[in-house]
Amino acid sequence: MDILQHILVYITVAISALYLVNKFLLPKSIWAGKKSNSKGCGQGDCGCH
Amino acid sequence: MSKQINVALIGNPNTGKTSVFNQLTGLNQKVGNYPGITVEKKEGICKLPRGVKAHILDLPGTYSLNTTSLDESVAVELLLNKNDKDHPDVAIVVSDVENLKRNLLLFTQIKDLKIPTILVINMADRMSRKGITIDIELLEKKLNSKIALVSTRKETGIERLRELIADYKNLSKTQNVDTSVIAPEYFASLKEAFPKEDVYKLWLVITQDVNFMPLEKTLIKDTSSFTTKSKSELKRLQQKETILRYQFINGILKETYKVDANAAKGFRATLDKVLTHKVFGYVIFFLILLTIFQAIYGWSEYPMDLIDGFFASATEWVKDTLPPGVFTNLIAEGILAGIGGIVIFIPQIAFLFLFIALLEETGYMSRVVFLMDRIMRPFGLSGKSVVPLISGTACAIPAVMATRTIENWKERLITILVTPFTTCSARLPVYLIIIALVIPEGSFLGLSYKALTLMSLYLMGFGAAILSAVILNKILKIKSKSFFVVEMPNYKLPLLKNVGYTVLEKTKSFVFGAGKIILAISIILWFLGSNGFSDEFKNAETIVTNRVQENGFSASSEIYFETHQNGTTADEGSGALARKELEDRALAQEIAGYKLEHSYMGYMGKAIEPIVRPLGYDWKIGIAVLTSFAAREVFVGTLATIYSVGNDEEETIKNRMAAEVNTRTNKPLFNLASGVSLLLFYAFAMQCMSTLAVVKKETNSWKWPAGQLVFMSLFAYIVALIAYQLLK
Repeated sequence: MDILQHILVYITVAISALYLVNKFLLPKSIWAGKKSNSKGCGQGDCGCH
Repeated sequence: MSKQINVALIGNPNTGKTSVFNQLTGLNQKVGNYPGITVEKKEGICKLPRGVKAHILDLPGTYSLNTTSLDESVAVELLLNKNDKDHPDVAIVVSDVENLKRNLLLFTQIKDLKIPTILVINMADRMSRKGITIDIELLEKKLNSKIALVSTRKETGIERLRELIADYKNLSKTQNVDTSVIAPEYFASLKEAFPKEDVYKLWLVITQDVNFMPLEKTLIKDTSSFTTKSKSELKRLQQKETILRYQFINGILKETYKVDANAAKGFRATLDKVLTHKVFGYVIFFLILLTIFQAIYGWSEYPMDLIDGFFASATEWVKDTLPPGVFTNLIAEGILAGIGGIVIFIPQIAFLFLFIALLEETGYMSRVVFLMDRIMRPFGLSGKSVVPLISGTACAIPAVMATRTIENWKERLITILVTPFTTCSARLPVYLIIIALVIPEGSFLGLSYKALTLMSLYLMGFGAAILSAVILNKILKIKSKSFFVVEMPNYKLPLLKNVGYTVLEKTKSFVFGAGKIILAISIILWFLGSNGFSDEFKNAETIVTNRVQENGFSASSEIYFETHQNGTTADEGSGALARKELEDRALAQEIAGYKLEHSYMGYMGKAIEPIVRPLGYDWKIGIAVLTSFAAREVFVGTLATIYSVGNDEEETIKNRMAAEVNTRTNKPLFNLASGVSLLLFYAFAMQCMSTLAVVKKETNSWKWPAGQLVFMSLFAYIVALIAYQLLK
């Protein structure tokens, strides 16, 4: 039972860490396949690029 | 399977576009961002007659297709780009019955893109009051379009609108205005160079900051068969186009739209005089802000206490019900605490957005912008920045979310970046305990030093926010329009349905957006504080129990006994707690403190000691600073755990902190120098993961929260360092 609890903890922590790494570090294009071309404003210094 | 069509809702701001959207979609709506940018994307599903389903997209408010902001560019690009998955099969232009002339400018532009277009004339319930009559049949004929006369307040006209959308195949695509007459030769050469493209679309790409695939601005510039005009010449042609359109609109409205001037006016003018008055205007706004502040700070307390109580009970229940072990601890202390840490903000967010929605719905927000803009603009902020900045004194999370009302991206970004400097309520527990410990008794002009210190911290927070705004305004290279135009919409009673939707949508967006990040960080922080690799951590219970048996309880526990046996913190009537029970508690606290010291977090605290030592802190304070990244108020709780005292008795924690000695100097650890240093550190540091998560969500990028974290932490460190070195 104790081992099972430890395994569940490590799984939960790993999922959380992966989620954060994905959010913080990995570019969205990794999962999206290709980069979105919609940048809306068409100008480079508007803040959205 | 029923057919689904794309419908774009577009219109000038303040025409009740969102109300039409809400009535068409009900609760079948979701809010997100356009990919890669921070413009809000509202979409929903609407069931139409004859089995047709419509995907409704509520585009950002725009006055015309001559774009002046990022929001407007998004709307124009979508209308131009047939390859976009959201490109509309039908465009619905929502107009306001009192400002039809201005609204029709946008309508004629969209009609000229050859998109089937329906005109919605909203706020029809005001017609009789304002003495307005419209010959709808004739107007439909003149505009070559179908019209729905709608009152979202009275819920009339929506059925006809649904019918018109379902019948979209029969809508006319005829253009209203032939733009080429403004420069026939120029347009002819444009048509010749790009024979496959619509000339009005080409004209928009040339004159606006928009692109659409496959026709991009650069492609037009690079074409040798066509020479474009200079910027000033294009501007002149744009003005000619606008005049041409207004001539067309005036001609039509002359025949179809009548206003009885005697029936209108009066109330609005009187109210405007008071609400935008040089003195009363500010007094009224101040009173409204005070009410908002009271709601976030005071009224929210009751539901927040209930939520707090619920999660405390849930934690107890989990611990009592599930088999004991680390995973149970994770559920109770990590996951439930994390979810509780998210849900606890809901009342504050709901109250703030309730007020913001009411201010927007009534038309008062535009008056606030008019009043405050002159004051805020020199600092690079908007008149609307006042609401987030003031709300930030309660909590930065709803405050950052409230910046969505600021249209200008640069002003909005600056407001987002500086709002966390304002003193939020989570800083108070830290301030109060440190002030009580290190600021001497005494008074100046009748005000105690402690009160003055607290007030100074609030003022410093505002000062830092304003100063940072000035700096950011200078260094951020973001193009923004320097002119200021604000529309003063009519006053109206708020539609409760709209207010409800806003509150619901903002709350949902926080819980499911930022909430996931907060929960993930909570779990990681729990893991770091509750696990360790050393033997000391693994054998903490045996080590501490043996130590207590051999040497007796620590100094911290002695203070704990003293406080409780004197009955100072025990419940009245029940008397002092029995010695045995006290000893059990003290032992558990000592074990918890010892475990935290030898946990991963403990080692991290010790690792950063060389960094925090110049500020007058030791490793214990280092750990508290690290854990308080979850929320600033956690600082006090962590110190209580490290010092092995219960974290529910402030007096005990304070006594224990006062007794703590700096092993290097043999002087009290919490003295004036280190105390002021800590106060200043917490005044300026970005010690709040929830705020970072919300900033990420609102800016759609980690670049800004990361920059904010680094800048604020460095700034806080330097200020705290200077303060300690000067005062020690």
